[in-house]
Amino acid sequence: MSKFQATLRSAVLALGALVFLFPFYYMIIGSLQTKQDASLGGAFPHPSNITGANYSAINDRINLFSGLLNSGIFTAGVLVCTLIFGVLVGYSLAVLQWRGRGVTFALALLVQVVPFQLLIIPLYVLITRTYGLGDNYLGMILPFAINSTAVIIFRQYFLQLPKELFEAARIDGANEFVLLWRIALPLVRPALVTAALLTFIGPWNEFLWPFLITKQASMQPLAVSLANYISNVAATASNPFGATLAGAVVLAAPVVVLFIVFQRYFISTDVGSSVKG
Amino acid sequence: MTTTTGGAETAPSTIAKRRGPRILGKHPLGLLFSAPYLVFVLVVFAYPLVYAVYIAFHDYFFTAPGAVVDRPFVGLANFVDAFTDPDVIRSFGNVGIFLIINVPLTVVLSIVLASGLNKVTHLKAFYRVAYYIPYLTASVAVVAVWLFLFNGSGLVNQILGPLAPSPSWLINSHWAMPSIALFVTWKQMGFYILLYLAALQNVPNELYEAASTDGAGAIRKFFSVTVPGVRPATVLVLLVSTVTGANLFTEPYLLTNGGGPNGASTSPVLLMYQKGIEQGHPDEASAIGVVLVVLVLVIALLQNRFAGGKD
Amino acid sequence: MQRRTKFIGAAVVAAAMIGLTACSGGGSSSGSLTAKGPIKIWYSNNEQEVAWGKATVAAWNKDHPDEKVTGQEIPAGKTSEEVIGASITAGNSPCLVYNTAPSAVGQWVKQGGMVDLSKFSDGAKYIEARSGSQADQYKDADGEYYQFPWKSNPVMIFYNKDLFKKAGLDADNPKLSTYADFTATAKTLVDKGVAPNAILPAPTSEFFQMSFDFYPLYAAESGGTQLVKDGKSTFNDQAGYDAANFWRTLYADKLAGQEKYQGDAFADGKAAMAIVGPWAVSVYKDVNWGSVPVPTKNGTAADKTYTFSDAKNVGMFTACQNQGTAWDFLKFSTSTGNDQKFLETTGQMPMRTDLATTYADYFSKNPSYKLFGDQASRTVEVPSGPNTVAEMQAFRDAWSDSVIFGKGDVKTSLDDAATKIDQLAAEK
Repeated sequence: MSKFQATLRSAVLALGALVFLFPFYYMIIGSLQTKQDASLGGAFPHPSNITGANYSAINDRINLFSGLLNSGIFTAGVLVCTLIFGVLVGYSLAVLQWRGRGVTFALALLVQVVPFQLLIIPLYVLITRTYGLGDNYLGMILPFAINSTAVIIFRQYFLQLPKELFEAARIDGANEFVLLWRIALPLVRPALVTAALLTFIGPWNEFLWPFLITKQASMQPLAVSLANYISNVAATASNPFGATLAGAVVLAAPVVVLFIVFQRYFISTDVGSSVKG
Repeated sequence: MTTTTGGAETAPSTIAKRRGPRILGKHPLGLLFSAPYLVFVLVVFAYPLVYAVYIAFHDYFFTAPGAVVDRPFVGLANFVDAFTDPDVIRSFGNVGIFLIINVPLTVVLSIVLASGLNKVTHLKAFYRVAYYIPYLTASVAVVAVWLFLFNGSGLVNQILGPLAPSPSWLINSHWAMPSIALFVTWKQMGFYILLYLAALQNVPNELYEAASTDGAGAIRKFFSVTVPGVRPATVLVLLVSTVTGANLFTEPYLLTNGGGPNGASTSPVLLMYQKGIEQGHPDEASAIGVVLVVLVLVIALLQNRFAGGKD
Repeated sequence: MQRRTKFIGAAVVAAAMIGLTACSGGGSSSGSLTAKGPIKIWYSNNEQEVAWGKATVAAWNKDHPDEKVTGQEIPAGKTSEEVIGASITAGNSPCLVYNTAPSAVGQWVKQGGMVDLSKFSDGAKYIEARSGSQADQYKDADGEYYQFPWKSNPVMIFYNKDLFKKAGLDADNPKLSTYADFTATAKTLVDKGVAPNAILPAPTSEFFQMSFDFYPLYAAESGGTQLVKDGKSTFNDQAGYDAANFWRTLYADKLAGQEKYQGDAFADGKAAMAIVGPWAVSVYKDVNWGSVPVPTKNGTAADKTYTFSDAKNVGMFTACQNQGTAWDFLKFSTSTGNDQKFLETTGQMPMRTDLATTYADYFSKNPSYKLFGDQASRTVEVPSGPNTVAEMQAFRDAWSDSVIFGKGDVKTSLDDAATKIDQLAAEK
């Protein structure tokens, strides 16, 4: 590998990182400004124009703790269901042969294709009127419980495992649970991480559904209360733009922190595979 | 492990009706594994979907429990109403523009960045966090920054100076849709990079070594080993990015404030929202939705045929 | 081939499912007009209205232990109408909502979600005694009150006195009453560079934005004509063309921006004027402002000028069991005393005939609200009926095209919009 190539690669990656990170940098700077500064200079922190007031204003109006807790419950519920049931389906779609497999996969694809706005009112009526799950965590979780994209990802990765692996193990008398748990799962760890992160984002950032299903402020996840805050406070805050950005930072921060923590687990998977290759 | 009859009972009855030892396939356990998912899909997805299709063919509006109203079957009337509206046609055209820009850009950039990231040794964690952050963050949050960067007196235009388009990006009927396409590319890229990164772990290193022995340079290796090696991921990326684009809603709703300027960035889903939820015509909205779903299915099947291969 | 059968299979399974679920909808008995007992209400989520709502509920509960009212903030954002619409369908709406947008009520009535307040023995009488002839605009086509006319926020022009002075304009008697004067003043403001925009109503495509640029001016110019009257558009007349051309000139001459400002343009000095309701008095404490009625072509006198009401009403929902209590509470909360508390807490105008005289004290203590209070008796509401939102959206789309972005001819575009709106108004 030539030096030139390595330099070029670093340059491209660094440029990419700049493009991806700059808006976030700007978000943080903007959220700390006493007065909005739209000029070029506004992109840099200025000691006379820094304040935490935008954040304390949010804290005054929203119960951040209960918002976080609700978001946590909502997200964890979805994550657990997806990781358990999603892996099972993904495995049976990729490795097992059974009647109805094609239909199931077709359904999983179909779920991807249909916009949520088409289903939302029938679903709302079903869950509140028929199941009586309005203002209830179950009702909040249900429509997202098993992430179909995650199912497809699991299937894709299980498909990439060599068939012989399973046949050999079956001949040795291993049952499917053992196969899945001991052999298949450890091999698709990148897929697990990918799917977990993907699944995490959905409910964490979802606004419309929990907004419809929760009437009580004490049940609302952070995304809902912050979106409400952003759309209501904009008219009255002393620096509406800063207030909006502060709301954005508060919503993004927990996810970013979690991701950075998860990052370690990520690297260890990579170390494993790079040793292998 | 042999047949498990318990699995058959939780499964939909149409499939389990017939008898015989192998009638559920070689591994009937698959049905048991999939049963929770199937129930889930049927309850929260298939039922509302079928209901939505029913709505599309009837003169329908939502009513309070107990209200008795006539909902006659109207054949294709809702479809005719919807698709004689130039705004609806335009919204489909807008999504076309979006896909033409977004999908190729997404695939190319994410595969390039992922393979670069895969080889880099320093700052790996940093890069990954950097690329993934936009994807992690709710649209509501990042849209605010983009609005600020891309408005008439925003930072981007100040840097561009005289090169800035007039009217500015998001209110320029030529630039509004490409701006949204760029925004979505930027926002979703992290996810696709991640998909490719995971796929790259499964490309055997021997292939690269073999290519090296054949004297292939970095670029040849990229096209002859990497690209074919991650094809399953590419199929997935194509599918997911097409579907994301077709279901575009949040961006025209927030970034261009309801599909402005004068409809240059409306999307079918935005119109569904306007007609179905704001204006109380779920029948017309469902008709748009049904057509959209059919179109996306066709595109997805075509993509699968041309990019897919074995399945 | 193989794939096609898969999709058909999926559809069949799904169709079987609908049969299972379709039968399981729960029935709900509808409430009675005389039933008494505990009720739930929602009030608006801005700070002042929350304070008023809590106080009113507490005052009621003290005297009515058996008819307890539970109040909470409306789950709102950009989309509170959506929540109400969905809750009607699901049958879990509260008894009363204090903040329903008149544009959405027609749909809810069609959905069977609203209680006809005229059915209460003293329903129409109470409403008309309180609001007088203004209540007329809130009747549906059959003359029934499905919404209780509650409060209005008549809109006016606010101007920044400091910026006017800076531009060398007379800040105490600004020339803003005729279209020609308004445009000339706007031009001076922008040419002198005191603000990048003379005025900046949101130039975006949401249906309701028409209420803050075209509609107040049309109401004024036409002497109080609704957008749609007796199922026919009215705005495709000279008054409509004039108001639209006035705005087109402002946009074409770059006196009004085509892009929405992220933040509050008036507060930030990015616009020298704004179209606002009485809520603005408390919001713009830091701006040295003055207020005038919206302009007309030839300058109508202030005490003759109509404007858009920006009213919010109270709706009673059919999901309510104890409608008798709900009605009693509604009357309680809109009594002279509670209306006064509302006015004092929020600065919004209860929709009463005798506003200026009943609360003369308040207006003399708070002169900045006086103009709004006076204006409150001459307001125009959005059209009624189940297709209001669609009609307003049709108008907005045409407006965005021809007025804001100056494409094509204003007259043709308004005429086309009128044709479309006539069709919508004829639909049931």
